[in-house]
Amino acid sequence: MNFDAVESGVYPELIYPPYKSTVKRGPTQAPLRINAAAATTTNLFASPKLILPHDMDMTAQGKGEPLGEKIVVTGRVLDEDGKPVRNSLLEVWQCNSAGRYWHKRDQHDAPLDPNFTGFGKMLTDDNGRYRFVTIKPGPYPWGNHHKAWRPAHIHFSMFGNVYAQRLVTQMYFPSDPLFEYDPIFQSIPDEAARQRLISRFSLDETVDDKMLGYEFDIVLRGRNATPMGI
Amino acid sequence: MTSKITTSQTIGPFPHEAWRWAVDMTANVESSAPKIVVKGAIFDGDGVAINDAWVETWMPDSAPVETAHAIPGYRRVPSNDEGGFSLQITLPQAATAGKPVAYVTVFARGLTKHQFTAVFLEDDAGLAQSDILNQVPQQRRDTLIAKKQADGSYLWNINMQGAQETVFFDYV
Repeated sequence: MNFDAVESGVYPELIYPPYKSTVKRGPTQAPLRINAAAATTTNLFASPKLILPHDMDMTAQGKGEPLGEKIVVTGRVLDEDGKPVRNSLLEVWQCNSAGRYWHKRDQHDAPLDPNFTGFGKMLTDDNGRYRFVTIKPGPYPWGNHHKAWRPAHIHFSMFGNVYAQRLVTQMYFPSDPLFEYDPIFQSIPDEAARQRLISRFSLDETVDDKMLGYEFDIVLRGRNATPMGI
Repeated sequence: MTSKITTSQTIGPFPHEAWRWAVDMTANVESSAPKIVVKGAIFDGDGVAINDAWVETWMPDSAPVETAHAIPGYRRVPSNDEGGFSLQITLPQAATAGKPVAYVTVFARGLTKHQFTAVFLEDDAGLAQSDILNQVPQQRRDTLIAKKQADGSYLWNINMQGAQETVFFDYV
């Protein structure tokens, strides 16, 4: 595949002082654009065997129903030509409805839910589509500054069809009042790029009286994918 | 039609439990091919160890000799309290001449976008002819080369900033 240079402002700033831990961790030199055929033509093989029975229904992993608002999240993973990224591994993780992660270092004074860990994984289908059922995550404080609260989000980790398409990002929910105060979201200079991280409410994807639906399409870098079988 | 890309966000401090499955599945390498170990640590701009980073590798030349493996050619390891990580790498024949032994992806809290890099071995006779290293300014190439240790392993540190800032890539 071909990887065009990313337009200025689309990626977050690597050093963005309002997000304090970027100051000493973000590289200071621009990435070096190089040709490396293996990175743009090969990738790991994600077997369907890696996906366990409840990986796509994060409300069905415990002994009982988790607390909170059950939702379904779906969308398509595409490349820059708008072509589907098929049979591609995608991981998601998130906090619970109270804003607490299943993680020993999360000290937020909010309850864990014994029926919700907040991890899922799946493969995209032949149309590049993914779909999972979960609980709407809560906002939570993170100590970066006074009254620092993260807008509710779900982490996404995507492996693409070639190695150089790897992406980790966060999906947000519409109309969150915390966007303008969140330095992680605001570290992205381009307004349109920020907006593309916000899912859309979808009545079509809403399941009867069971759960509301959200749509989130993802565009990975890369053009001119080699057609399958060639 | 050209679609606009989805941008990146940090993995944050809390992926460990969600990402563990792939750590466990890729920890033990079963292969009859020769193996090496690349060890190192990841440091911030003050030289402080980053204890919540992640290193992933893609090793296209190793994948064919790791068919018994759950995800051939792939590893995922979290950094430990000292920033340390250890990678078991299979090295089939002379496939590595001038090539990286692993394409490496780095993630961390405070890193707003993952970084791509690659690691080479100092005793690889093909380094001077490497297509990739020859695209890197000479004075920075050393940051991509793992050094052989007395015990036979290789040492390779990742520095996010500073005089020895690791070269990070954007692939064309």
